Amino acid sequence: MAVTAPVAPPPVPTAEPAAAAPTAAAQPAVRRWQVWAFVLPAILFQFFWGWYPMLVAIFLSLTNAPIRGQVTFVGFNNYARLLADPLVAMSFRVTFVYAGLGILLTFGIPILIAILLMEMPPRLIRVMMLLWFVPLSGIASTIFWQYMYNEQFGILQFIATEVLGLPPRAFLSNERWVIFWLIFPGILMFGPGLYYMTSLQSIPRSYFEAAEIEGASFWRKIWTISLPRMRPIISMSLIFAIIGSMQEFAFPDLMTRGGPNGASRTVVMYMFDILNDGRYGDATALSVMLFAVIMVLVLVYRRLVTDDPDA
Amino acid sequence: MLFPTVGRKQWQVRLGWYGVQVLLWTGVILHLIPFYLMLVTSIKPASEAMAMPPTLWPKEPTFVAWRLVWQISDVAQSVLSQPLYRYFLNSLIMTFGVIALSIPVTSLAAYASSKLIKGPLARPLFIFFIGTLMMPGIVTLIPSFLLTRNFPFPLPVAPTIPGTDIAFPTLRIWNTYWAVIIPAGFSAGNFLLFKGFFDSIPDSIINAARVDGGSEFNIFRRIVLPMSKPVYAVTIYFTFGGVWDSYLWPLVVIQDSAIAPLTVAIRRITDAFSYAGTTSPMTAMGAASALQPLIEQGLSWNGLMVLGLLQALPVFIFFIIAREYLMQGVRIQGLK
Repeated sequence: MAVTAPVAPPPVPTAEPAAAAPTAAAQPAVRRWQVWAFVLPAILFQFFWGWYPMLVAIFLSLTNAPIRGQVTFVGFNNYARLLADPLVAMSFRVTFVYAGLGILLTFGIPILIAILLMEMPPRLIRVMMLLWFVPLSGIASTIFWQYMYNEQFGILQFIATEVLGLPPRAFLSNERWVIFWLIFPGILMFGPGLYYMTSLQSIPRSYFEAAEIEGASFWRKIWTISLPRMRPIISMSLIFAIIGSMQEFAFPDLMTRGGPNGASRTVVMYMFDILNDGRYGDATALSVMLFAVIMVLVLVYRRLVTDDPDA
Repeated sequence: MLFPTVGRKQWQVRLGWYGVQVLLWTGVILHLIPFYLMLVTSIKPASEAMAMPPTLWPKEPTFVAWRLVWQISDVAQSVLSQPLYRYFLNSLIMTFGVIALSIPVTSLAAYASSKLIKGPLARPLFIFFIGTLMMPGIVTLIPSFLLTRNFPFPLPVAPTIPGTDIAFPTLRIWNTYWAVIIPAGFSAGNFLLFKGFFDSIPDSIINAARVDGGSEFNIFRRIVLPMSKPVYAVTIYFTFGGVWDSYLWPLVVIQDSAIAPLTVAIRRITDAFSYAGTTSPMTAMGAASALQPLIEQGLSWNGLMVLGLLQALPVFIFFIIAREYLMQGVRIQGLK
């Protein structure tokens, strides 16, 4: 997993911290109450709608979490019921496959495209970026992909049968392939990652010039300069990708509703099914379970990977 | 820089260079295809929108779908209780509400965290602000929903004040616009963007202003704010896109369909369509539903495309207006 490069970074004098230091003594005192006026609203919002609901979730998962009526404490009954439910196990399996395959197939693309895009002349980068970041809202793109995937008149079916001469296929109604087809738009619509581009710009040109004099090839430069330098941002993006893709909901829900036969029903989608049945305690317990699984994944990841580009 | 500066004229290097360019343009074009196809499909007649093979340009362009979509609420009250523009308005109110609340709250906190708070408290406060980013948001859905009903108690009924029969006063924002706006009052993601930007402003500028005398807030307003337009553009843009597109939370906290956002309304229409069978021509004839009169007049996938385009439009307009600031805000240097 670790992308350690055996190349020693050229000595670059770090001038920034030294320049900022001398002002500290001369700095006028910051008035206390004014500082609190800046942060207090944010603290209140972050507490009441950020941390507080998270603690409450753990408490509610041990009760029947009713919308009306009496709150009763049920211990670990909710969890026991969920663990006995084969559909919970299935939804976790679907979620792991969806997240794992999704990250495997799509995570590297924006990194590579960002690296390649930065090779273009500035004027061209500008034009391409503007076109690339023309936004299509989530709902609109879901409607578009539903249309593309239609088995009778969708354009993908047209490409499969008329252009490639393959037999007609059941894209989203095939149990074995549905997850791949849900990920496929992410592969096809490739583009550069914004944060990767900013990070690439901070690499000194001299690194590449030095590597060139040493005779490093195209891929060699990517492997030993660009990627290690981008490592903190890649590492952070990967964590967010793990957290995000384990909670996949809107796109598969709108595309397949979890079908066929639950082959694309993720944990969050199943949580919603439970919620619609009025089993609020179970739904909360399931979300806490997913939370625990994701936190374990994140912690394991942080154990395995260090963020330091010079490591 | 990856391509050698010496020997650029060699044919292998040239070929590689053009190969990369072709790849990049392919990506750009693929990205633009949905816009074209949606636009073209929206001006096709119903049958052509579901024709195989698909046509690249309609044989007889028609705006029938654009006209019919506006009539959905007249014909099918059970699908949409309000005219379509009402949902547009609801989405706009929520979106601007969130922007008006969360951008000042978040940016002031990020500024304080970046420039005003030093010492032992700085680090815990920073973790407090961004820690929720590392946690899956789904876990707070049900508790937050309960909180909108009896704030600050996540309970169906507020407890009584000990020793009396009077219940604690609670705040009920459920089923109002506030239920979408207030919980979004602080954004950890925007906080990081703001802080990253404010960190890059030299302390000396702010200290100079302090020597001249002036409250911290005035320094922020007169010195920092004018130089921070790009980061505000980026965060407002992200917030706009996020709230405008949000579906799950409004669905949970807003029951009254008259104040539902556009995303929820569109989902209701697409659902009605798939039950009516228009999304597959095999069953289109037999299906009886509230939308049948419109379907007979020529509404099918062309109408769904209209809805998609209408939904995408505000974010698109915002992007066009703010594109210069957005490019600066992500600090892509040397592109001027």
